[in-house]
Amino acid sequence: MAGNFWQSSHYQQWVLDKQDLVRERSHDLGILTDDEYQKIFIFFSNFIQILGEQLKLRQQVIATATVYFKRFYARNSLKCIDPLLLAPTCVFLASKVEEFGVISNSRLISTCQTVVKNKFSYAYTQEFPYRSNHILECEFYLLENLDCCLIVYQPYRPLLQLVQDIGHEDQLLALAWRVVNDSLRTDVCLLYPPYQIAIGCLQIACVILQKDLKSWFAELNVDIEKIQEIARYVISLFEMWKTYDEKKDIQALLAKIPKPKTQPSR
Amino acid sequence: MDERFSRYEKIEFLGEGQFATVYKARDTKTDDIVAVKKIKIGSLAEAKDGINRTALREIKLLQELNHPNIIGLLDVFGHKSNVSLVFDYMHTDLEVIIKDQSIVLTPANVKAYMLMTLHGLEYLHNQWILHRDLKPNNLLVNSAGVLKIGDFGLARFFGSPNRIYTHQVVTRWYRCPELLFGSKMYNTGVDMWALGCILAELLLRVPFLPGESDLEQLTRIFQTLGTPTEQSWPGVKGLQDYIQFKSFPGTPLNHIFIAASDDLLDLIASLLCINPIYRLNCQQALKMPYFSNKPPPSTGAQLPFPAALTSRDAERAQRKRKIEDQIERGVQPKRLQFDTSW
Repeated sequence: MAGNFWQSSHYQQWVLDKQDLVRERSHDLGILTDDEYQKIFIFFSNFIQILGEQLKLRQQVIATATVYFKRFYARNSLKCIDPLLLAPTCVFLASKVEEFGVISNSRLISTCQTVVKNKFSYAYTQEFPYRSNHILECEFYLLENLDCCLIVYQPYRPLLQLVQDIGHEDQLLALAWRVVNDSLRTDVCLLYPPYQIAIGCLQIACVILQKDLKSWFAELNVDIEKIQEIARYVISLFEMWKTYDEKKDIQALLAKIPKPKTQPSR
Repeated sequence: MDERFSRYEKIEFLGEGQFATVYKARDTKTDDIVAVKKIKIGSLAEAKDGINRTALREIKLLQELNHPNIIGLLDVFGHKSNVSLVFDYMHTDLEVIIKDQSIVLTPANVKAYMLMTLHGLEYLHNQWILHRDLKPNNLLVNSAGVLKIGDFGLARFFGSPNRIYTHQVVTRWYRCPELLFGSKMYNTGVDMWALGCILAELLLRVPFLPGESDLEQLTRIFQTLGTPTEQSWPGVKGLQDYIQFKSFPGTPLNHIFIAASDDLLDLIASLLCINPIYRLNCQQALKMPYFSNKPPPSTGAQLPFPAALTSRDAERAQRKRKIEDQIERGVQPKRLQFDTSW
């Protein structure tokens, strides 16, 4: 995405403070533990990813949809809107904002149905319950809760520039790119500007590949403290993944989510 | 969003375009006068696409922009699957001013309008945004004489080398030759060309190149400015919709703009350069001698204001004329709706 990041709504309104995030989530965190809360968000990031892939969206669109999803719940409890409805709505809005071309609402719904049935049957035993009119109504709430800030800057572009500066490093780029995708399963996209996330993910990729780029990192004009914080978020995600079996645990977790007062008739 | 809907008290109907109806309204919270642009829901099929794309483009871009010569988006609200955008209230636009026979546009006035448009456009282009629909009607003017670029329904980011864009943009009279030849990888030049046409219109007080079809548009352009050749525009023959035109020599600009000074003619020529590669960008245009030479641009109160706007009846008449004009031009509104609800 082009434009000027420093004057953007992303930088001025949507790089949040850790304390604010904790405060906003206090309601949900009275019901769910930190760990459970994160696992639920990992699940829906996966859901958005797979839904996006089925719709043949570019990663940029998927990432934007994921950030919308996280921004919405950074301000609202999970009980405000069922995340299973908000997730496809985010995909719908992001595909329009990123000028991806038209995804018809009926195609979106039918893809949701197949994805729930074929890919997430371990989480949902019933079929996808929502219809176009739910998505259309939800889109309004989403737009409002995003404060109409629709342009999201992603770490992918700064990552490309950084790797280009390092030199020809296809393997490093591919791995760092995947780490950036993984970082969408943490809170970093809410807390840090994308160029810092790119550097943090690049650093992790270097460690994994045992590439010594210390002198290159040393010359970056960046708050290294922040980079370390980002790296810690991602590493703790990797640690969690070692022992976590989503297929086994997710049903119980989804059942624990605080529910909206009204549910669509199934 | 429903609470926001009652915040704006409708004063009167202002106009209607292809995608929206615009009302003048009072913000009951601040007592400011604002313009509320209610996006039309077209067909049932369109309604199924959710929030209108044109509206989304305006929202997403204007939310990121902040410049004295760019229209300000103040609020967005929805009501019954209808989106409305709230803007700074602008009293008139350049089209009305150009058409108002009672207004004399001095060289200093023209310079002021060009300068304000260029400043806004330079800011846009620096943010990698193309407007893609510049025309006098979209250059809004408030009572303080400040010009703001409005209507971002066609605007979008540019610069990604592999992105293909549609060439069906920009109202025909302001459409540059590369778009008319079907180019899909165009640049800031599309806005600069439109600006050249607007400048010409400010001087002539009638549209400069009012083509009635795309083909006639090209004919008019080449008759006036000369037919391009592979030498003057390498690659022109490779464009998708290229057609060989009769070789027109073009008309010297000082025969068309008899009263224009040389520095002004230079600016027109470099904005209306047929080959997009050599067309000026905003930065270059602002450095042209025209802007540093005398007379200095008019400021605020020195700028003209349509006399008609002081009288309400006259304003209505003008509005009616505007809609009729639109119909004549073939931009027929999708449906005329004068309901009193939002």
